[in-house]
Amino acid sequence: MNTDEIVQGLVLELRRGTLILLVLSQLKEPMYGYNLVKKLNDREIPMDANTLYPLMRRLEGQGLLKSQWETGEGKPRKYYQITPEGQEVLEKTKEYWSRFATNVNAMLEGEI
Amino acid sequence: MKNDLIDRYIYAVTKRMNHRIRDDVQKELYALVEDMLTERCGNAAPAEKDIRIVLTELGTPQELYAKYDENSGRSLIGPPYYGTYKLVTGIVLACVALGMTVSGLIIHFVEAQLWYETLLSWISMMWSGCLQGFAIVTILFAFFCRRGVQLGEPFNFDNLPPVPKRTEQISRWECVFSIAFCVIFLVLFLAAPQYIFGYWGAEKIIPLFDVDVLQGCWYLILIYGVLDIVRETVRLLERQYNRKVMLTTLVTNSLSVVVAVLWLTKPNLINGEFITHIEQIMEGDAAFIAEVFVNFQLFFLGIILFALVLDTVEAIVKTLKK
Repeated sequence: MNTDEIVQGLVLELRRGTLILLVLSQLKEPMYGYNLVKKLNDREIPMDANTLYPLMRRLEGQGLLKSQWETGEGKPRKYYQITPEGQEVLEKTKEYWSRFATNVNAMLEGEI
Repeated sequence: MKNDLIDRYIYAVTKRMNHRIRDDVQKELYALVEDMLTERCGNAAPAEKDIRIVLTELGTPQELYAKYDENSGRSLIGPPYYGTYKLVTGIVLACVALGMTVSGLIIHFVEAQLWYETLLSWISMMWSGCLQGFAIVTILFAFFCRRGVQLGEPFNFDNLPPVPKRTEQISRWECVFSIAFCVIFLVLFLAAPQYIFGYWGAEKIIPLFDVDVLQGCWYLILIYGVLDIVRETVRLLERQYNRKVMLTTLVTNSLSVVVAVLWLTKPNLINGEFITHIEQIMEGDAAFIAEVFVNFQLFFLGIILFALVLDTVEAIVKTLKK
C-alpha cells in the first residue's frame, strides 16, 4: 500500500470522527439537508448527501435534532434543527474537542 | 419532478424499510434528487444522463439503504447483505414459530396432553427450532459475506425493477403464510404422519396415510416442501411479478408436479384400515364421502396439480401483462 492510500484512510477516519460535531454546530437555525451539504463543501469539508441524510435522521432518532416539513414555497423540504439535548451534547463535545485539538496541535508542533 | 428512473431508484432504496419511516425517506430522497439536479442543470430540464450521474453519486440502492439502517455494519454480516439477512431471518423465525405452535396444538389435542406438558414441549420446540433456523441463516449469510457472493445481478440502472402499483404487488403476508403453511406441512408429514387426518377409531387413532409407505418417500415430501419455500422466498424478495418470479414459478411448479405425481401414485399410500373404517361409518347417503377417501390419492393429486397449474398461469399472465 502506498503512502497516499494510507493518508487518504487517515483523513477519512479524522473526518468521520468530527462529522456529528459539525452537523450539530450548523443546525442552530433550521436548515434542509442539501443546503448543509453545500455549506460544508463551500468550507472545503466534503460530505456526501448519502452520508448526511441518513446521519441527520439518526441524530433525530437520538433526540439531538428535530425536523419539520415545509411546503410553503415550491418544493417540500425537510428542515432540521438542534434540540436542547443536542445543544447540551454539542457543548460538552466542543469543550472536549478544544482541549483535545490544542494538545494534539502542541504535540504535532513539538511543543510537548 | 416525475421520472421513471428516479421512481424506480427510490423504490429500490426504500422497499425494505420499516413502513413507519418509508414514506418520509421517500419524500426526502425526492427532494434531495431534485436539489442535486437543480444544482447540476440549473433551470434547464435534466437529461437522462444527468439523472444517472446524480443517482450514481448517491450510490447503489443497496448501499444507500445500508446507510439508513442503523444496525448495518455493526454485525458479522455487513452491507450489502445485512438488509436481505434481516428479512430472511425474520421470515424463517416467523415461519418456524408458527409451524411449531400449530404442530404443538395438534399434538396437544391428539395426544390429550396436560396443558403444562404442551407448554413445556412447545417452549423446548420453539427454542431449538428458532435457534437452528437462526444459526443456519446466519452461517449461510456469514459465508456469503466473507466470500463476497453476489446475491442477484450486479447493480445496473437498466435492471431497476419498476415501481409496482399497490394492486400489482405480491402480498408479503401471503408469502409468509404460504411458507409457514409449508413448514407445518413438513413437520406433520415428516415428524408426525400418524396424526394426519387421523380418525379416532376404537380407542386409537387410525391415520389416513400408511405411515410406513409415507415415511418411505420422505425425500419426495422434503423436495416438495423445499420447492414451495424457494418459490415463496423469491416472491417475498421481489414483491412483484417479473421475469425472475415467472421463471422461478415455472421451474419450481414443474418440478413440484413431477414430485407430486411420484409421491401420490405410490401404491398403498392410503391406509387400508382407515378406508375400511370410513366405509363402515359412511353408509347410505354419506357413501360418496367414503368414495372420496377410497380414491383419495387421485383426488389429492388432482387438487395439487390444479393449484400448481393455476399458480403458474397466474404468474405468467401477470408478468406478460406488464
